[in-house]
Amino acid sequence: MESVKIFVKAKCPKCPAVKEIGMNLKEEGFPVYHYDLDTIDGLAEASYYSILSTPSIIIEDDQEREVVGWRGVVPTLQEVKRHLFGALS
Amino acid sequence: MATVVGLKGEHQEFAEEAETTDMALFVRTSDESMQGWDRRKIVDALVRETFIDLDTAKEVAREVEELIATSKIRMITAPLVRELVDAKLIEKGLEQARRMHTRLGMPLYDVDQLILHPNRENANVPHGPEATNLTLAERIKKEYALLSVFSQDVADAHIQGDLHLHDLGFVDRPYCSGQSLEYIKRFGLSLPNSIAMAKPAKHPEVLLAHMVKFAAALQSNFAGAIGWDSVNLFFAPYCVGMPDRELEQLAQMMIFEFSQQAVARGGQAIFTDLNLYWEVPKHFENVPAIGPGGEMTGKTYNEYIKEAQRFAWALFDVYKGGDGSGRPFFFPKPMVHITEKFFKTEGHMDFLNHICEVASEKGNTYFVFDRGETAKISECCRLSFKLDQADLNDAKQPWKMRYCALQNVTLNLPRIAYLSKGDDRQLFSKIGERMELAVKAHLEKKLFIEKLLALGEKGPLALLVMDRDGSPYLRMQRASFLIGMVGLNELVQIHMGQEMHQSKEAFKFGLKVIAHMRLLSEKLSQRHGMHFVLEQTPAESTAYRFAKLDLRYHSPQSGHIVKGDISRGEVYYTNSSYLNNAAVLNPIERVRQEGLFHPLIEAGALTHIWLGEARPSRSSLANFVMKTFHQTQNDQIAFSPEFTTCNACNRTSRGLQNSCAYCGSQDVDGITRITGYFTKVSSWNKGKLGELRDRYRNQAFFKEEKDPVAESPVQTCHAV
Repeated sequence: MESVKIFVKAKCPKCPAVKEIGMNLKEEGFPVYHYDLDTIDGLAEASYYSILSTPSIIIEDDQEREVVGWRGVVPTLQEVKRHLFGALS
Repeated sequence: MATVVGLKGEHQEFAEEAETTDMALFVRTSDESMQGWDRRKIVDALVRETFIDLDTAKEVAREVEELIATSKIRMITAPLVRELVDAKLIEKGLEQARRMHTRLGMPLYDVDQLILHPNRENANVPHGPEATNLTLAERIKKEYALLSVFSQDVADAHIQGDLHLHDLGFVDRPYCSGQSLEYIKRFGLSLPNSIAMAKPAKHPEVLLAHMVKFAAALQSNFAGAIGWDSVNLFFAPYCVGMPDRELEQLAQMMIFEFSQQAVARGGQAIFTDLNLYWEVPKHFENVPAIGPGGEMTGKTYNEYIKEAQRFAWALFDVYKGGDGSGRPFFFPKPMVHITEKFFKTEGHMDFLNHICEVASEKGNTYFVFDRGETAKISECCRLSFKLDQADLNDAKQPWKMRYCALQNVTLNLPRIAYLSKGDDRQLFSKIGERMELAVKAHLEKKLFIEKLLALGEKGPLALLVMDRDGSPYLRMQRASFLIGMVGLNELVQIHMGQEMHQSKEAFKFGLKVIAHMRLLSEKLSQRHGMHFVLEQTPAESTAYRFAKLDLRYHSPQSGHIVKGDISRGEVYYTNSSYLNNAAVLNPIERVRQEGLFHPLIEAGALTHIWLGEARPSRSSLANFVMKTFHQTQNDQIAFSPEFTTCNACNRTSRGLQNSCAYCGSQDVDGITRITGYFTKVSSWNKGKLGELRDRYRNQAFFKEEKDPVAESPVQTCHAV
């Protein structure tokens, strides 16, 4: 199953919007992982996905391959869902 | 030089010591004189150099005198007297006094070896009397640094191989420097202590002469590389209307001037980086240009793009031909900046093909990737700085753009893993401790350099305090302090049981380590108000030194970890954050994977692509370069071919061979890239020779495919 990875930083004005998307997706049963770039794990994971700006969202397939990503931008919840459902179908 | 015996000038008299024993003994001093025995000189030296009291000093002197008298020798050297005094100090438990009273120097045997045999620590040092002078001086300054500049815990950490303090033999200079030609274009060549002052150059050849002389002066004040920003652009106002033949001649002069040996310090070629652009960098577009005579030309640099491009092209024509024997030029290194604007600038594909042809034929080209809005200046093998807003403001007066790194301290990462015994918490906490120790070393070096700078234009670093534009040449507040790493791959191997290219988990753990170091460097920068940055240390000898020391201290475990051939003594750790040199990886995949570390390593990183004998087409390399720019985060790449040059017939062939392909002579030298520069393999240290044997050459990749990068799918290696 796909998973959603969310990358944020403490002092990032647009990050709360992405966190909210994450919460919504979690409520709907999608596996959502949060990474804070001010932590070691968060920065390492972000580096692995070439994420240089926050907020960013990555959707991965079950092989942990990136299906789609938004780097440094905030997509709408619908956009993310569309890709999630697209990947499922 | 202070010696126990043979004191001059500030000699102190101690009347009550007049009863010094009247021995028929002569003391050979280090200032080439023969003196009669005088015990008071021991007392003088002890009182002047240490904190011990007069009575103890007298007691030590008397005891040493008795010892010498009993031996009945007729002549003694001042160094031996000092050693005897030191032995007495130890006997009395006066360790601090002994330390302060230490004599620096080398055993006769070592000097003999040094004069007879070449230096293997730095392959850029030729073997000769001038180089021997350099090495001898370095040895003494290294001892001085470890005893007097750095605290004992820092010095011990260096000696034991927990970390490496680079260029200790140059402890009284900053590490490396990057600058703009605009400084000498505007102010001419007016160096402190120089007997003649030259006004700003009116002709391109004179500007080149000023540049070379200034570089030599800088080499005498910095330990490492001397970088020049936007060289082709800043030469451009001098090249207006210059016929092609003359321009080519100028390019040839520039490369030969910088590549010839024995021009400066210790017979070393100046480690020179020429930063080149096909476009006019954004931050220089509207900057008023300085032309002949230091006068503003009334135009902006944007209007000199054609001349700048012609000069860059001519430089690469020269690189393509190689030297008189067809060998690649070792220096100066051309660093071509590939930017978004590069791809929007007319003629970029022709130029890219041109520099890729040079990369394939001779290997000289370094491709530096400045993505997005980032502007960078490269200074050393892989040291580059991103320009911040203050730098961009300086760019309006480009002569102000000068940067330095004050010192480089490299951590032995595998050592940390041996000590942590598989415990994550221990590992990350020990990395933190080592980083703090590295910072302590930086603070101590900074204090020392500031002490020298405070002596002003009469002091040893007169060039760096020279003030021609309202601030000293060395702008301490803009200095960086480098923290490097060696053996990330082996740290991961020890801690996880797999090397980084062997599993995704191992690779990600490597990223975690570097992420930890990056976050720590930011935190330490904030705490100290200084700029600590991670760097991929070239570690030409450090990777060998750490491996050897760990074989001694962490055997038998280290025997399974170090790379190379233990039976030959050719051992090393994988440099910085690189993947195993021997790992069979598709080159683009190596560039991609190693590139994932690069954004974390702020002061610059590089991936080597070992070509071996392969001679890829220029279009295949151009595709590779474009793919690297657009699809990876890699900061810099260089393609490294291998050559054999014949000392009998002076011809150069492809590949590392035992004999000349043309005349069959066995009097040949292998040439390839050691770390960040080309040099003869015969001058390499054992660790680097081990690495050379292991390097996975990507010959098949480039030979089998006509256009491999464009056509072949990216190989998914080892599940990373």
